[in-house]
Amino acid sequence: MERLRYFLQRTLLSMRQTPLLSGATIGTVAIALMLLSFFTLIVFNVQNLTRQWSRDIQVIVYLDRIPSNSVLEQWCQEITKLPAVETVHYVSQAEAFERFRKRLGQNDDLLDGLMPEILPASLEIALREEARTQRGAEELVELLSRNSTFSDFRYGQEWLERYDAFMFLLRLTGTLAGGFLIFATLFIISNTIKLTIYARRDELEILSLIGATPFFIKAPFLAEGAFQGAIGALLALGGCHVLYYFFLKKGLAALLTTAAAQNISFLPTWMQVAVLGLGLTLGLAGSMLPLRKFVRM
Amino acid sequence: MIQLCNIGKVYDNGAPALHDINLKIPSGDFVYITGSSGAGKSTLLRLLYCADRPSRGQILMGERNITRLRPRSVALLRREIGFVFQDFKLLNKRTVFENVALPLQVQGLAKQEIQSRVYQLLQYVGLEYKLQRKPLELSGGEQQRVAIARAMIVRPRVLLADEPTGNLDSDLAIEIMEMFTRINHEGTTVLLATHDRELLDRFPRRTIVLKGGHIVSDTLPQTAEETPSKEEAI
Repeated sequence: MERLRYFLQRTLLSMRQTPLLSGATIGTVAIALMLLSFFTLIVFNVQNLTRQWSRDIQVIVYLDRIPSNSVLEQWCQEITKLPAVETVHYVSQAEAFERFRKRLGQNDDLLDGLMPEILPASLEIALREEARTQRGAEELVELLSRNSTFSDFRYGQEWLERYDAFMFLLRLTGTLAGGFLIFATLFIISNTIKLTIYARRDELEILSLIGATPFFIKAPFLAEGAFQGAIGALLALGGCHVLYYFFLKKGLAALLTTAAAQNISFLPTWMQVAVLGLGLTLGLAGSMLPLRKFVRM
Repeated sequence: MIQLCNIGKVYDNGAPALHDINLKIPSGDFVYITGSSGAGKSTLLRLLYCADRPSRGQILMGERNITRLRPRSVALLRREIGFVFQDFKLLNKRTVFENVALPLQVQGLAKQEIQSRVYQLLQYVGLEYKLQRKPLELSGGEQQRVAIARAMIVRPRVLLADEPTGNLDSDLAIEIMEMFTRINHEGTTVLLATHDRELLDRFPRRTIVLKGGHIVSDTLPQTAEETPSKEEAI
């Protein structure tokens, strides 16, 4: 208990005694994590947006003949069982006609005198998220083609090609930039903490001379690193929230449609906790590396 | 009893520091280790508090072989040894009280016991009225007394002092030496590395002279004559 109190006292006191160094460490962690969080926020929102677009990806099978209810039910059951399929919806000729009429809007009088039978019935097959790619759609079409009744398929090939290319670019940019940012953050934080520990190497030497165990020497420094990392992470989240509010929420709202702007959201709670955990871990790891060098018995 | 058997030390860069050192220092003894700069005095002390490991040979402290100890055992050994250095090695951002209390905090003693022992020891070195001062607000002699108090707070069996008077004028040096003598009279073994001839003459004790990493003489104060051979000293 005495030791725990000593560790806590030392951690807080040492931060008070070296406000400039502590401030520099916290500031470095905050700025580095804010950049990382803001980048994650952008990727997260772009992914959300594309996920919404991808919901439109579906394979439509136009039916030459209207099947009986029992056959239709059997097809739906069989298709739903396929791993790439999320839902199957049968669009009757009447429903297709009604949709067409709605789409024409004020010009719907063009359809006056026409019967619903001019449009084919269809099966609208929505894909699972992981299959919403050109390859996924093509594979499904190949499977469906085995049923000789199905011959006319539509799945927006060109749109899917562009969507795939965009998603590839997004992932590549996300991985490269995210990896670089994490590496840079660890490097900067580790070096800043190394400086603070270097400035206090006399204290480390004296502690080791008077019989402090390696744990006793390292614990306050590790606690300080973790504490500074956590404070930095909280500041980073605060800063990221400010950036989000002014640049994404307000700034983009002016550029995007209202619906798209409404979908822009801040990092979910688990990601915020992850940023806090990352700050804490970076602070710990950043202290641990130089301590290994300076604390030698 | 401290025993060094065939101790040799060569640093990582290949520089030899000590050769074939054989020594026996009985408990309660006061021993000077002297010699010119680079003779190996500090290296010998560093081996005794396990800051370095000997390249060959064995060191026994009491019944314990301290030649190859694990980090935790090194820490526990150092709790039985007091250290005093030329540059005091005090924490300048902490008060006199905090500096002296540090070894006891390391050992996890209760706050009340720490307070009472630190106060007693500061009285012993005559600094009880400066316990809230920071080291840099004190004179050199006072700083060295704080360092001695910190070394003595753990009631060490052995006190190692590396040029403890090197930064002090002669009056202060005498004051510090009188303090070491008092500590030795109370039963602590004292090993003091110095090249100050004046102190050796004024406070005559067993004196081991090092030159180029070899023991060249080991004399006792009563006769002030060199022992005929190193073996005899062992």
